[in-house]
Amino acid sequence: MIPTLLGITIMVFAISRLAPGDPVSLSMGPGGQLDAARAADVRKARMALYGLDKPVPVQYAKWLGRVVRLDFGDSIKHHRPVIDIIKERLPITLTLNIIAFVLIYAISLPLGVLAAVEHKKFFDRASSVVLFMLWSLPSMWVGQMLIGYFCGPTFKDWFPPAGLSSNYAEQLPFFPWLADRLWHLVLPVFCLTYSGFAYLTKQVRAGMLDNLRADYVRTARAKGLSNWVVIFRHAFRNSIIPVITIVATLLPAMLGGSVIIESIFSVPGMGLLAFEAVTTRDYNVVMAVATIGGVLNLIGLLLGDIAYAVVDPRISFEGAE
Amino acid sequence: MSENDILLSIENLGVDFFTEDGIAKAVQDVSLKIRKGKTFALVGESGCGKSVTALSIMRLIPEPPGEIVSGRIIFEGRDLLSLSEKQMRRIRGDKIAMIFQEPMTSLNPVYTVGEQIVEAIELHQKKSAEQAWADAVEMLRRVGIADPQQRVVEYPHQMSGGMRQRVMVAMAISCRPALLIADEPTTALDVTIQAQILDLLDQLQKQIGMSILLITHDLGIVAERADKVAVMYASRIAEIADSESLFTEPLHPYTQGLLKSLPRLGFSDKRLPTILGTVPDPLHFPTGCKFHPRCPIGCNDKRCQTVEPELREVRPGRHVACWYAPGYERPGDR
Amino acid sequence: MQKKPDWGASYGELVWREFFKSKLNAICLIFIVFLFVVAVLAPFLANDKPFVIRIDGRLHFPIFTNLSASDYSVFLAAIVGLTQLLLIRRNRRKIEPSIRSDVLWRQITISISVILIGTISAFIFVPRRLDATDYKAMIASGKASGGIFAPVPYGYGRTDLKSREQPPGREHWLGTDDVGSDVLCRLIHGSRISLSVGFVAVGISSVIGIIIGAILGYFGGGVDFAGMRIVEIMMAVPTFFLIITIVAFFPRSLLNIMVIIGITSWTEDARFIRAEFFRLRRQDFVRAAVSLGLPLRSILFRHMLPNGIAPVLVNATFGIAGAIFIESALSFLGFGVAPPTPSWGQMLSLGVSTTGRFLWWLTLFPGLAIFFTVLTYNLVGEGLRDAIDPRLRKAE
Repeated sequence: MIPTLLGITIMVFAISRLAPGDPVSLSMGPGGQLDAARAADVRKARMALYGLDKPVPVQYAKWLGRVVRLDFGDSIKHHRPVIDIIKERLPITLTLNIIAFVLIYAISLPLGVLAAVEHKKFFDRASSVVLFMLWSLPSMWVGQMLIGYFCGPTFKDWFPPAGLSSNYAEQLPFFPWLADRLWHLVLPVFCLTYSGFAYLTKQVRAGMLDNLRADYVRTARAKGLSNWVVIFRHAFRNSIIPVITIVATLLPAMLGGSVIIESIFSVPGMGLLAFEAVTTRDYNVVMAVATIGGVLNLIGLLLGDIAYAVVDPRISFEGAE
Repeated sequence: MSENDILLSIENLGVDFFTEDGIAKAVQDVSLKIRKGKTFALVGESGCGKSVTALSIMRLIPEPPGEIVSGRIIFEGRDLLSLSEKQMRRIRGDKIAMIFQEPMTSLNPVYTVGEQIVEAIELHQKKSAEQAWADAVEMLRRVGIADPQQRVVEYPHQMSGGMRQRVMVAMAISCRPALLIADEPTTALDVTIQAQILDLLDQLQKQIGMSILLITHDLGIVAERADKVAVMYASRIAEIADSESLFTEPLHPYTQGLLKSLPRLGFSDKRLPTILGTVPDPLHFPTGCKFHPRCPIGCNDKRCQTVEPELREVRPGRHVACWYAPGYERPGDR
Repeated sequence: MQKKPDWGASYGELVWREFFKSKLNAICLIFIVFLFVVAVLAPFLANDKPFVIRIDGRLHFPIFTNLSASDYSVFLAAIVGLTQLLLIRRNRRKIEPSIRSDVLWRQITISISVILIGTISAFIFVPRRLDATDYKAMIASGKASGGIFAPVPYGYGRTDLKSREQPPGREHWLGTDDVGSDVLCRLIHGSRISLSVGFVAVGISSVIGIIIGAILGYFGGGVDFAGMRIVEIMMAVPTFFLIITIVAFFPRSLLNIMVIIGITSWTEDARFIRAEFFRLRRQDFVRAAVSLGLPLRSILFRHMLPNGIAPVLVNATFGIAGAIFIESALSFLGFGVAPPTPSWGQMLSLGVSTTGRFLWWLTLFPGLAIFFTVLTYNLVGEGLRDAIDPRLRKAE
């Protein structure tokens, strides 16, 4: 884990340093060219301030030292410490993603099992087609269409197009406030969920089909067990093992998707922060988001590995790495 | 030779498989009788239909694409093919049990060995969990697994192939079945383990008094262990005999060819005789007797090429399906 | 008279036959070919200049005289690609199987070199004409006559502020965008952007992935350990985050987008090839090649790679769909190609105007274009995967 964490920081830092130009010139902007001599002085002072006049590995070490203490510098746009902004925004993205994850697994597992059991019959064929198309739908298109058709004066006005709470939400007691929150979350969560659930259902179905054909299922039937017991106690229990490792694929995809969806729906989370930061060239924030995104991803992978070791008796903790 | 001795009787069984390339008749007109306490061997090459026959007894044929299209299987006075699925489930694992070829994959990898045996016990017998577990340990001991108390909570991947097969046997006999179907139980095991497993089956047979239907392609096993043998070829039975008679006096040209091709001590010929040709494709069986293209007699005989010989009892306890087997012909055949 | 040699069906032929057993696959392939044709012929399909026009009694051919360097390189790539495909068919018939892969490598190397040299030459030598003549106005005012225009008589760079944000109508079949450009025209030219990003990015990522995967898979041991750590680091940061991080620091251009997507997507291919090479390394034909003293380059690429390439081809197809999606997403967010370069994603972002109006034609049509392109490539990928596995395993 630790080497990978270090590697992430190295990679993010390298990107920032490989870029043409340097943060100081860019932050000084065209105005810095006006008075050449004075500009050179200012430039030199700023370079020293940011430590940019030192060799690159030293810069990296200093940056890393600060990062470890969660000091990512200040945001150029917001004029606040980056870490504070992240502390505000991270829980929102996490909430969105966790809700989406729960929904994905809750829908995919039964659907995938049902499709496998009804293999080659109408339900399976129809759902395969629908799922495939869902998986290929671009999320920004879906988001845009949903806003256009369901959030505005042109067609229907069922959902709010932006934000997490209505303007008057502060004054509401708890449950109406919660309801208002949830109402705002419906569309973003839907957008985050649909493609992950299409992918996962396909995987569950494929795993179940393989397992239903397995020898040990034949043995279980030969013992006289009923069909449902065979499906759930035997085939399904084996099928969820690979499905857990799919967390490793889903998590980064959803974090990436958060950028698009939060931008479309103006949800103030990490994704929107990343979008704003890239647009305004707020470098400290960009590097912080990349690093934290990587860390979150690794945590998710680790949890997935642990779950895998718990669920599959063939794996011991040592082998889980 | 009384009828009470017969445990299970298959009559004119027919099983078809519906594939995208056509209908494959996997089993046609198969009849045999298994006696109580005896070992019946079903021999044949891969694809001849012997496994399908065995699975039909348990009604474990996957319903698409397969289908049992004809025949009866009489067991304890009832036709198994006419029972409801619920009634059939009560028989599976309890009265008739089955063990399979691949011990490596036939056990569920995520449950302990004990859990899987207990599952069978709890399903068919009214025993408390404690008793069921105690039974499971006892079963493991019976099949010759050392330290059964320890082994019963282990997972299949922690055991060797031979041990897993013993576990399968333990699971199968846990409810003292009247018939144990063993589908190539030793094919995937080392030769030394093979002997051990077969000895184990013999021993259990004597202890429990169960019949064994042994499916195999290995004639050596048949010679040592079987009381009665049926030879299958291309979905049909070619010959039925008790095992001694089969080896001393094979009546069907296929059996004769098989036995001639076995290497024997003291055999001095330079080349082993073989049966020319290959097993026919189940989607395109030859007309007449299915063996005729490879038969020294039948390849030239018009009747063999056009009319399929049915299985007939030419002597008490001796059946054969060949126009030219001694004692086969009846008036009215020509 | 040369008798037609009977070499039996090659692996590729078996896959081809299996692939086409499904009509859906055939339909998808036809759609993909259709997209290619549209992309290659874009300047002839949608252009505000006419094919031919008579000015002062002389014939002019504005479309042809105004073809840009990228047009020429696209034509070259299309011709070379088509030739290569025909050559592959000829190889199957005329070339012996044992040397076929060598011949194929040589042909592919020549093709790619020709395309690269041609493209670079085009960009150096083809003058950047900017013919701002308004031919329609000339016809209207009578100075010119007999103009034969392209089916969609609009150019993607031309703005027409009088017709901003028009819904579909007779003049503009799919409407106009926020600066008055015709949507259909931009869709057609946008296909070039999408397809080129798809193929170039996947090309880059496949090459990187294959090389790294081959080295890790073949050498194993310490090399593999170190290499896998690097792969894990690349996989640790969510791909999209990584892409936008890089995009934040580097200038925006089409080439940069292609390269960025390419260098962030190679990890899947590397893992596939690594797994395949692990498996192949133990096989006897590889051991034979090693014991014969064949050079490493030959063992890896002539012997092992053709046997292990199947999952990479499948992944490449999905990768094209993914790259097209990423480019659309980047352009949608404003990080991708900049106007006037047409991009479906960028058009999509205009669907909700600055005043909050929902311009449905700017959402629906570009969205459908992205959706159908991604869908067909995904379907082809699935079809390929099904064709390769398991029936051919049985035939082996």
